[in-house]
Amino acid sequence: MSGKLSVIKQLIGLLTLALIVALAGCGGAPSAQAPASPPSATTARAPAPAPAGQAPPASIKIGVIYPLSGPQAQTGNDMKAAIELALAIINQDMGDLPFALAPGTGLPNLGGAPIEVIFGDSQARADIGQSEAERLLNQGVVALYGAYNSAVTKTASSVAERAGIPFVNGASSSPDLTERGYRWFFRTSPTDLDFSRVMFAFLKDFQERQGVTLNGVALFYEDTDFGVNSATAQKRFAEEYGVPVLGEVKYRSGSAALTGEIQQLKSFNADVLLPSSYVNDAILTVKTARELGFAPQLIIAQNAGYLDNAFLETTGADAEGILSRAAYAADITQAKDLAARIDQMYQQSHDRPLTDAPARAFTGFMALAEAINRAGSTDPEAIRAALAATDIPADQLIMPWQGIKFDEKGQNSLGQAILVQRQNGAYVTVYPFEFASSEVRFPGVAWANR
Amino acid sequence: MDATIVQAVLSGALIGMIYALIAAGLSLIFGLMEIVNFAHGEFLMLAMFSSFWMWELWRLDPLASLPITAALMFGVGVLTNRLLVMRVLNAPALAQIFATFGLGLFLRASAQYLWTADFRAIQDPFLSRVAGGRIALGRDVFIGVPQLVAAVIAAVAFALLGLLIRRTRLGLALQAVAEDRSTAALMGIPAGRMFDLGWGIAAACVGIAGAVLASFYYIYPSVGVTFALLAYIIVALGGFGSITGALIAGIMVGLVEIVAPLLLGIPPAYKYALVFTLYLLVVLVRPQGLFGRY
Amino acid sequence: MLDRRLPAPLTLTALAVVIGILVTTPLLINNNVFHHTLILIGIYAALAQAWNILGGFAGQISLGNAIFFGIGAYTSSLLLVRAQLSPWLGALAGMALAMVLALLIGYPVFRLAGHYLAIATIALAEIALVVFQNLEFVGGAAGISLPITRDMQGRPTDSWWMLQFNSSKLPYVYLALGVLGVVQVVATLLDRSWIGFFLRAIKNDQTAAAAIGVPVARYKLIALLISSACTALIGTFYAQYLLFVDPETVFGLSLSVLIALVAILGGAGSLWGPFLGAVVLIPLAEATRSQLGGRGTAFDLVIYGLLIMVIAVFQPAGLTGLPERFRPRQRTSVAPAAPADTQMEESLRS
Repeated sequence: MSGKLSVIKQLIGLLTLALIVALAGCGGAPSAQAPASPPSATTARAPAPAPAGQAPPASIKIGVIYPLSGPQAQTGNDMKAAIELALAIINQDMGDLPFALAPGTGLPNLGGAPIEVIFGDSQARADIGQSEAERLLNQGVVALYGAYNSAVTKTASSVAERAGIPFVNGASSSPDLTERGYRWFFRTSPTDLDFSRVMFAFLKDFQERQGVTLNGVALFYEDTDFGVNSATAQKRFAEEYGVPVLGEVKYRSGSAALTGEIQQLKSFNADVLLPSSYVNDAILTVKTARELGFAPQLIIAQNAGYLDNAFLETTGADAEGILSRAAYAADITQAKDLAARIDQMYQQSHDRPLTDAPARAFTGFMALAEAINRAGSTDPEAIRAALAATDIPADQLIMPWQGIKFDEKGQNSLGQAILVQRQNGAYVTVYPFEFASSEVRFPGVAWANR
Repeated sequence: MDATIVQAVLSGALIGMIYALIAAGLSLIFGLMEIVNFAHGEFLMLAMFSSFWMWELWRLDPLASLPITAALMFGVGVLTNRLLVMRVLNAPALAQIFATFGLGLFLRASAQYLWTADFRAIQDPFLSRVAGGRIALGRDVFIGVPQLVAAVIAAVAFALLGLLIRRTRLGLALQAVAEDRSTAALMGIPAGRMFDLGWGIAAACVGIAGAVLASFYYIYPSVGVTFALLAYIIVALGGFGSITGALIAGIMVGLVEIVAPLLLGIPPAYKYALVFTLYLLVVLVRPQGLFGRY
Repeated sequence: MLDRRLPAPLTLTALAVVIGILVTTPLLINNNVFHHTLILIGIYAALAQAWNILGGFAGQISLGNAIFFGIGAYTSSLLLVRAQLSPWLGALAGMALAMVLALLIGYPVFRLAGHYLAIATIALAEIALVVFQNLEFVGGAAGISLPITRDMQGRPTDSWWMLQFNSSKLPYVYLALGVLGVVQVVATLLDRSWIGFFLRAIKNDQTAAAAIGVPVARYKLIALLISSACTALIGTFYAQYLLFVDPETVFGLSLSVLIALVAILGGAGSLWGPFLGAVVLIPLAEATRSQLGGRGTAFDLVIYGLLIMVIAVFQPAGLTGLPERFRPRQRTSVAPAAPADTQMEESLRS
C-alpha cells in the first residue's frame, strides 16, 4: 500500500522537523556553550580546571527556577521581581548599600563581569522542574537557584547534584531537602522545624507573660509535602513543649470547598489554630471560617499562603489579628534601615511591598552571588567551596537573622524565625519579644465579634 | 455532635447546588450533541473574572452584575459553538475531546496572559455584609449568607431551565434536535441554531454559577480545574444528558464530600476519593448513571 | 495497516532510516537538552502507544492510565529504597502488580462504555493519587527521593545494575528508545495478530463483535493487561530518570490526559500515531516553554492550546492522516476520519 510508505516518509519529515525544534529549544546552537563553564553533565566526571589567568567571562549566568504559571504563579512572579532587584544591585554601582557586591558593577573578582539570570518556569510541577533545570544547565549557567515548592526543589536540585553544579535554595522549607546527603545543595532559609519551634516557644512565653491559659492547639494542614512536614514538626514540638493537640484536620489542597473541614476544626474547640496552607486555600479558609462563625482565640499560620501578597490583598480586614511565622516582616524596615531601602526599591519596580517569600528569594540570591565572587572563578568546585565557606554578617542582610553560614548539610545555621501579626493592615513583628515592634493583640481574630 | 451533622448536611446541600448548576450546562451540551466540553471549568473561570472586573472597575456587586455575566457567557457559548464545536461536529469523538481540551488550555493561559496569575477576591461583597454574612440557626449551626443566596439562585436557575426545556416550543425544538438532528432538520428545526442556543444556555448556567461563586471564592486563571473535575463526575453520576440527574448528583456529591468524612471518621483529605468511590459504586450498578437513558 | 504480507523492501528501508536517525543523532549531537527531549519523546511515545493498544485498537478510552504508570514507578522505587533491589527486578514486580490491578478493575469497569468509562478511569487514578498521598508507608505526600549512586569518594557514578547514569544522558536516551522499541514491537505484533483483529471489531461495534463470536470481555481485558504492563515498565524507567516519585507527578490527571493527547494527536488506532504525536507535541511543549515560559505570562501555553485546537479542527484523525490529505482523490474521501476503521470494514467484508 502506498499509504504506508507515505506515512513513513511523513514520519521522517516530522522527525527531522522535531530535531530542529528541539535544537531551537536548546537556546541557540549547541556549540555555543559558554567557554569558561562547561555546562554539560560531564563536569561531574571530569571537573574542568579553574581557568586561572584566563580572561574573565563576559557574563556569569545563573539559572533561576520558579512557578511562573499555574496556581502559585503570583508568588513566583513576586520572587522573580526580587531576583531582578538583586541583579540590579549587583550589576549596577550602588556603593551606598552595605552588600558586598553593591559597590562597582558586576562581580569585582571576575573582572567586573555582570550576572545574567535565565528564568525557568516550573509550573509548580516536579517533572517540569527537572526539564527546566536541564535546559538551564545546558545554557551554561554556573549555578542554579530556586525553586519554592519543595517537590520541585527536589527534582531540580537532583539534576544539579548529578551534574556537579551548585544549587542554592532560598525559600523551600521542607526539612528533607538538606537530609539527602547532597554535596551541591545549600539552603539559606530556616526550615519547617525552626519555624514550628518558634510557634510553641511563643505559646509558652505568651501564656506566662499575659497570665492567660490556652487549652491547646488544632492543626489544619494541606495534604502535600509542605503541609504534612509542617504538621509533623508541630506535633513534635507540641509534645516537647507540653501543649495539647486537641485535633488535626488534613485537607485536600485546592479543594472546591472547605466547609466540612472548618466544621470539624470548630468541633475541637481549641483556642489556637495552626494552619499550613498555600495561598488559595488560605483565602478560602478565612472566608469559610468567618461564614461558619469559627473564631479561635489565636490563629498562628505556617507562613506560605498567609504571608502572600494575594492573601493580604483579597482578605482585607478579615486577616486582621492573624499571626504567622515568618523569616521577614515589613516592620523590620523600622529596625533595619537596609530592609527599608530594599523594600522601597522593590516597591518602585514591582508596585508591591516586599513580603516574606520574595525577601527570602532576594537574600539567598545575594548569598549565592557573593559566593561566586569570592570563588573568583566559574569553576563549580570553586563556587561550592566558596559557598561552604560563606559567612555573611547580620548587618548585610535584610532578614532578622544572625547571618548566613552553612552547616555540613548545607543548611544555614544562623537563620531565625519570627512571629508576625496582622495589625491595622500590616504585618508587625510580635515575637521574639526582644525584636517585637508591637504587643500581641489578643484575642486575635477579626470576625470573632461580628 | 448533632449540631455538627445538621451543619454538615446544610453546608453540603448548599455547595452541592452550586456544583449541580455548573454540571447542568455540561449535561445539556452532552444531551444535545454528545460532546463533553472539557473547557467547562474555564467557562466558570471566565464568569468569575467577569464578575470580578465589573466589581473592580465599576464597583458593581457580583449579584448586580449577574445578568450581565450570564449574558456575556451566553455569547461565549455561542462563539465557542460557531468557531470550534461546529467544525469538529462530525469528527471522531477523540478529536472533539481534544478540541475542547485545547480550548480550555488556551483560555486558562490567555487569562494569565491578560490578567496575570494573581489571586483575586471580591472584598466585602453585598452578601457578606447582610446580617454580618451569616445566619445563626441554633447555637452552633451557621449558614453563610452568600452560600445560601447562591444556592437559592442555583435553584431558581434550575427551575427556569426545566421550564424552558419542558414547557416551551424552544425547549421542544431542543429536545427534538437532541433526539435526532436530521429528522428535526426535516421538520424545519435548524439544528445549527439549536446548537448555538444549547451552548449559549449551558455557558449562561455556568456563568450564573461563576457569578454567585465570586461572592465567596477566590478567583484566578486555574480556578475552574477542581470544579470542572467535580462537574464531570456529577454529570456522569446523574447520567449524561439528564438535567435532573445533574441536580440530584450535584447535591449528592456536596453531601458526600462534607458529611461522609464526618460520619465515617475519615480525614477530609480523602473527601474526593469518597466522591469518586460513590461514582464507581453507582455506575457498577447502573452503567448509565442515575438518570441516564443509555 | 492490517497488511499481513511481509513489509515491502521500500518500507523496510524507510523504517531503517527512522531507526538510524534515532540511534545516530544522540551521538552526533551531544547536547543535554537534546538528549533530555529525546528521552521525553521516547517515554511519551511509549506511554501513548501503550494507551493506543487499549484506546486506539480496542476503542476503550482511558483517562486514567497514570494509575499503572504510578504503580510501576512506586513499586520499583519502594523496592529500591527499602530493600536495595535493582530497578530491573523492580520493573518486573511493578509490571506484575499493574497487571493484577488491571485484572481487578478490568472486569467491573469494562461494563461501562464511552464517557462513563473515561470518567471511571479518571476516578480510579484520582483515588490512587489520594491514597498514595496519605499513606506514610509509600512516602506520603513527600514522595520518595531515590538516592544517587556514588563511588567511594562520594561522586555520582553510573550503574547499569541500579539503572542510574550520572556522567552522561546517553544510556538513558538509548534505554528510552529501547523501551519505546519494545512497546512498538508489542503493538505491531498485536496489530497483526488475531487479537488486533478482534480489538478492532470491538471498537467498531461491540454488539456486532459479540454476535459474530468475539469474546468481548476477555479481549478488552487482554488489551488492558498488555497496556498496563507496558505503562508500568515505563513508570519504573521514568522514576529512575527523575530520581523522584510523588503522587501528583505519577498519578496526576494531567499525565493521564497528556498520554491520551499524544496518542490522539498522532492518530489513535494507527501504529505510528503515538510516535508521531510524541515527536511533535513533546518538543513543541519544551520549546515553547523554554523560549517563552520564563517571562511568567503563560504565553507558551496560549500557543500550545491554540495549536491543539487547530489540529483538532483541521486534522481530526491525527497526524498519521496527513498523507491522505495530499493524495489525489481517487477514492471517496471518508477515509481521513478513521483510516484504520475503513480498512477494518474492508477486511470484514472480504
